[in-house]
Amino acid sequence: MPNEILVIVEHADGKPKRTAFELLSVAVTLAAGGEVHAMMLGPGASAAARGLGEWGAHFVHTAEAGLENYTSLRWTRAIADFAAARKPAAILMAAGSLARDIASRVAMRLGGSLASDCVELALGGAGLKLTRPIYAGRARVTAEAASGTLLVATLRPNAFTVVKPAMSAARIVVPLMVAEKPEDLRAVVLEVAKAGGTRPELAEASIVVSGGRSLGSAENFKIVYDLADALGAAPGASRAAVDAGYAPHSMQVGQTGKTVNPVLYIACGISGAIQHLAGMRTSKYIVAINKDPNAPILKLADYAIVGDLFQVVPALTEEFKRALRG
Amino acid sequence: MKIAVCLKLVPATTADIKISSDGQSLQLAGVETIVSPYDEYALEAALKLRETNAGSSIQIIAIGGDDALKCIHHAFALMADSAIQIKAPGVDARAAARCAAAVLKTSVPDVILCGRQAVDDDLWLFPGALAEALDVPHATAISSLSVAPSGKAFHCRRRIEGAEQSIEIQMPAVLSCDKGLNEPRAPTLKGRLDAKKKQAVAKTPAELGLSDADLQPALKVTRYAPPPQKSPGKIVQGEPAQAAAELVRLLREEAKIV
Repeated sequence: MPNEILVIVEHADGKPKRTAFELLSVAVTLAAGGEVHAMMLGPGASAAARGLGEWGAHFVHTAEAGLENYTSLRWTRAIADFAAARKPAAILMAAGSLARDIASRVAMRLGGSLASDCVELALGGAGLKLTRPIYAGRARVTAEAASGTLLVATLRPNAFTVVKPAMSAARIVVPLMVAEKPEDLRAVVLEVAKAGGTRPELAEASIVVSGGRSLGSAENFKIVYDLADALGAAPGASRAAVDAGYAPHSMQVGQTGKTVNPVLYIACGISGAIQHLAGMRTSKYIVAINKDPNAPILKLADYAIVGDLFQVVPALTEEFKRALRG
Repeated sequence: MKIAVCLKLVPATTADIKISSDGQSLQLAGVETIVSPYDEYALEAALKLRETNAGSSIQIIAIGGDDALKCIHHAFALMADSAIQIKAPGVDARAAARCAAAVLKTSVPDVILCGRQAVDDDLWLFPGALAEALDVPHATAISSLSVAPSGKAFHCRRRIEGAEQSIEIQMPAVLSCDKGLNEPRAPTLKGRLDAKKKQAVAKTPAELGLSDADLQPALKVTRYAPPPQKSPGKIVQGEPAQAAAELVRLLREEAKIV
């Protein structure tokens, strides 16, 4: 039975975010022949919509007026009003700061269910079926949303394969009007301070290189940054390293830091406490460099080097630079 | 200022999460429990607001059975003024939000503080859902908080990908708290002794006008499972330079990445 699926496509710098293509691939599967609608909100949405190309959305609804500055209530209204009228089976968002802000509100307003950070999402026997991590990834739960009810699902980046549709849908871009109600302005963003720098965002990066307390100092973290830069990766850190002052909290990976799901996670001198693993254990490939052959992280690593990180990590940087030069 | 804090009891972050052999339930009896860590930042934020706003009071909301009472006891030991236990054990986050809304809607506080996520379900549902049910604005995962000069709004900051937002949010509001907002204080001995004399008010969902249908789970759980096990990895041998070269080769040729 075909379903209508709504996908919230985030965009930056004039193009859709990478997560959009994963969401659209899942949406096409869930739609089972039904319509896939993408929604893009905020300044630059119409221009960024062009970047969706032929990827799975039959219609792309773009709205910019009244959305110049982010307000959670107006974004919620844009999505909820649309979904209330069209009654999709599911609304898909990327698991990230936008979804964490408004997915709950959208689900509640529409009387639907919320499943955050899904790592599996498919058509089930009785409705949509999903799997998501719980207890900081120490367990997983599989659950179903009954058919006829709305599921708001946020999807973990990199957990789903991007599948380019065999036939390009006739993609139509539709300008969307979002009601501008004064009560939406009860919470407004006054200012956005960008972090600066050219490194990729940790939660969105394909490759992450993290350092642990064994680095010994903030200065020594240079070897982590050098390896990250050689790979175009985002640098990360364990909680112990952050607590010791060797790296800022914004770099912390783990239960009380960021959750990452890159294709490659390189852990330098990180022992692998449960709370750290919670933030990176679903990475596609894990490399551990540690002088302790009994470090817990080695059990999770696809590849490991047992050795002195101060020798191994710079050697890796050199090898990657050499290999990537071609 | 009328301040409310919502607290949830969860298994300790180092506790083993055992799953029944048929995958149909979690075996958590006897597991060490704590107040969800992000809720502690909410409680501390409440204590600070009360300190700096004369005449303020802190009301605790906790949903559940003995687990809720444990949270309330902890909050009483930190000198919370009053508490309501909503006797709805084992309900999911959406039902919990409905319970909290039912209690708070008769007299909406100026601010309702929660943790950004409960570290058991990791759902990030409760704060936004509660705000929606009360029709008040909310801010998610705030890392700084102050009262705006008008006295009728808050200024807070929130980290997003690659940036930090500065937000102005009108009271009444729901604020969910992130690590870095503050350093939660420990209860004092006096606080712990006083806590024994304090009593929470208990309410049932029915008393709050909620039906069984309101408390039904949002999703039907079909299975619990441990995280996927990985097959054992490869230890790359050799001196640093050789091992590094071999690792890069494996990543390129075997894993086909980089």
